[in-house]
Amino acid sequence: MKILIAISSKEYSGPTLDVGMNIARALNASTTILDVGEKINEMSTKDISITNELMDTWNIDRPGIEVLEWAYHYLVKNSFIDDDSEEEVFKNKIVKESTSNRTEVFLKGASIEKLSLILRNGDIVTELRDEVRTYDYGLTIIGGSSKRSLAHDFIQYIESSILIVNSFNLDKNYRILLAVDDSPGTANAVKYGIRVAQAFKIKVDLINISKDGHLKEGYNNAINRAKKMLRRCSIDTEVLLKIGDPVENIINTAGDDHIIIMGASTQSPLAKFFVGSKPLGVIEKSTCPVLIVK
Amino acid sequence: MLGFSTKTVSNVLFWVTRKKWLILAFLLSLSFFYFPSPDGLSYAGHRTLIIVLVTLILIISESIPLPAVAILILIMQVILGIASADEVASSFMSDAVFFIMGSLMLAVAIVSQGLDKRLALIVINFTGNKTWRISSGFIFISAILSSFIGEHTVGAMMLPVALALIRNTGLSTKKATNLSTLLLFSIAYGCSIGSIGTPSGGGRNVIMIGYLAEFGMAHISYLDWMKYTYPLLLLEIPFAALILWHTFTPTQKLMDSAVRKLKVKVAKNGKLTSDQILAIIIFFITFLGWVFLSPYIGLGIVALCGVFLYLSFGLIDWQQINKNTNWAVILLFGAAISLGIQMKETGAALWIADQTLYYLQIVFKDLSVVRWFTSVVITGLLTNLLSNAATVAVLGPIVLDMGGDPITIGIMTSIASAFSYLTVVASPTCMIIHSTGLINSSDYLKAGWKLFVVSILLLLLVSKFYWPMIS
Repeated sequence: MKILIAISSKEYSGPTLDVGMNIARALNASTTILDVGEKINEMSTKDISITNELMDTWNIDRPGIEVLEWAYHYLVKNSFIDDDSEEEVFKNKIVKESTSNRTEVFLKGASIEKLSLILRNGDIVTELRDEVRTYDYGLTIIGGSSKRSLAHDFIQYIESSILIVNSFNLDKNYRILLAVDDSPGTANAVKYGIRVAQAFKIKVDLINISKDGHLKEGYNNAINRAKKMLRRCSIDTEVLLKIGDPVENIINTAGDDHIIIMGASTQSPLAKFFVGSKPLGVIEKSTCPVLIVK
Repeated sequence: MLGFSTKTVSNVLFWVTRKKWLILAFLLSLSFFYFPSPDGLSYAGHRTLIIVLVTLILIISESIPLPAVAILILIMQVILGIASADEVASSFMSDAVFFIMGSLMLAVAIVSQGLDKRLALIVINFTGNKTWRISSGFIFISAILSSFIGEHTVGAMMLPVALALIRNTGLSTKKATNLSTLLLFSIAYGCSIGSIGTPSGGGRNVIMIGYLAEFGMAHISYLDWMKYTYPLLLLEIPFAALILWHTFTPTQKLMDSAVRKLKVKVAKNGKLTSDQILAIIIFFITFLGWVFLSPYIGLGIVALCGVFLYLSFGLIDWQQINKNTNWAVILLFGAAISLGIQMKETGAALWIADQTLYYLQIVFKDLSVVRWFTSVVITGLLTNLLSNAATVAVLGPIVLDMGGDPITIGIMTSIASAFSYLTVVASPTCMIIHSTGLINSSDYLKAGWKLFVVSILLLLLVSKFYWPMIS
C-alpha cells in the first residue's frame, strides 16, 4: 500500500504529518510527501524552468523545496524516521523532473527507504488526482480546508481513500469513531478502523444512527460483523446507537477527541455535487480528523 | 444513472467543473453565431469577432493548454469560412513569428553560457554597497539589457543575483522582507521598462512593426524605433527607483558584507572563457544585424541568424533549445497574429474602432483624446490581464484603424503594453519573481499602480512634446 501526504505550508502541516506518518508506520506503507505549489502561467513555464536551472548553479533552492526540507526535518525531530546523516548518499540536493510540473527531490544525506519527496505546481485538486491515478496510492492524507467546494472536490475526485486532518494533537487521547451502516463501504471502513486503532493503540466507538429509532436488519448485521472483527483483533469496542440526523450525531459524539472513520457515500456524483453527502457534512462541521474509505 | 457507472459520471463532472470556461466560451460563441450581424459589420467580420472573444476567454482562464487555443484559432478561421486553409497558413507564419521564435531560442542560448555570474560582478561593481544604489542599479541594468536581449532572458539571469545578495545579508530567501520585495521588483519593473527600448526588447514591438508594414502604413527601422522610445525608457528609470524605494523601504540601508561575499563567490569563476567571449560576440553581431540589416531582411531572420551561429559554433545543443523553448508561445502568437490580420481584412477591427470612437467620443469629445485613451489606457489595462504580446496582437489592428498617425498610435500601443506592473501574469518577469514565493499577488498593486500612472503621464509628455520634434 502507498500513502500520499499532501502538505502546503510549515504553519499548518504538522498535524497532517503526525497523523500520516503514524498510519504509514502502522501499515508499513511507503510514503510520499507532496507539496503542490501555485500554478505557473503557461506563457512563463519555460522562463521559470530556465530560471530554476540557473538557481541550481547558484545553490539557491527552488521554491517549494524548503517546505519538503522542513517536513523531512520535522519527521526526524519527531522520530518518525531515522536520520542517517553519516551515510551521505547524496552529496548535494538533487532535483529530478519527471514531467514538466512534477519534480522529485532528494535531500542531502536523506536516503530513507519508502519515503519520497515530490514537488508539483498547479491546481491542487487536479494535481492530487493526477498523482493518485498515476502512482496508484491507497490513501491520501491532507490538511483541512475551510472551503466547502474544495472538501467536496477532494472526496469526489481523488480516487483513493482520503483522510482530512482538520486538526490533530499528538498529546491528546483520541478514540476512533467508526460509523457503521449497511452500505458496501462499511466493511472497508472497519478494516481501516482496525489498522488505525492498532497504529495509535486506541479504542474504537462503533456508532450506528437510525433516523426514526428503528434499526433495519442490515444495520444490525453490519454492527455484529464489525464487533466480531474488532474483538478478534482484541481492540476495545463500545457500541453507540443514536437516533436522529446522522451528520449531527456523528459530530456531536466525536467532539474534538475522535478520529472519525466512515465509508464513502454511494450516492450519485451529481447528487453529491448539488446536495452534498454525509461525509461532506461531517468534514465541513467537525474539528476531528475524518477518514473517508473508498 | 442512465447506465453510466459512478466513476464515469464522476470523471465527466470533474471535466465539466475544470473546463467551465471552455464550455462558457463554446456556448457564447454559439449564441453569437446565430445573432444577426450588427450594422456596418460584415458577415466574416462578425465571425472573426467570435474567435476573438473565445480566444480572450481561453487565454485569461487558462482552461485549456495554450497550444490548444492556438490550434483552435486556426481551425475556427477555416471552419467559419473566414479564410481558406492556405490563407490561414500563410498568415500564421510571418517575420514577427520568426522573431519571437528566434528571440526565445537566443534567450536559451545566452542564459546557458553561465554569464549570470559575470553579470553579477558588473552589477555590484557598478552599484557599490548602498541598498538604494543596488536597487536603482538593478532597475537600470535590467532596463538597458532587456531593451536589447528581451525581458525574459534578463529576468532569468538577474534573479539569482538578487537572491544571492539577499541570502548573503543573512536573511532567509524564503521569507519576504522589504529588502527582497524591493530587489525583486527592481528586476521585474526594470525589465518591463526596458522592453520598450528597441524592437528586439519584446515580441510585441515586432508584432506592431509587422502590422504597420503588413497594412501598408509605415516601415520603422530599428534605430527609428529607438529614437521614439529610448528617451522615455531613460526617463522612467529614476521614477521607478523612487517609487519602489518609497513603497518598500528596507531596514538595511547598507549591504556591505553581502556584496563582499558575492564578489568572493563570483571571483572563483575566473576569467571569461573563450566560449563565453564567442557567445557575446555572436550576440553583438546579431545586434548589429538588427540595426543595419533588418530593414532589408527582417528582424526575425536576423534573430534566426543568431540562433544559427550559436548552434553551428556548438555553443548550445539543439536538445537544450528544444527543451527550454516555449513552443506554446510561438504557436499562440502565430495564431494571434493571423487572427489580427483577419480582423483587419474582414473589417472587424475597423468596426470595433468605429464603435469605440463613437461611444468614447460621447465621454471625451476630442477625437485625439479618445485615440490616446484606447491605445494607452485600455492597452495598459489589458496587458495586465492577458500578457503583453497577446494584447498587441489583438488590439493592434483595432487601434491602427482608428485614424491619426499610425506610427504614433502603433508605438504608443506597444509602449503601453509594457506597463505590466499590476499582476503576476502581466509579463514573464513578473511571473519569474512571483515563482520565488517571496512576492504576493497583492504586492504588485502596491507600487504598480503608482508606476502605472506615472508611466502614462510620462508617455503623454513624451508623445506630446518630443515625438513631434523627430517625426
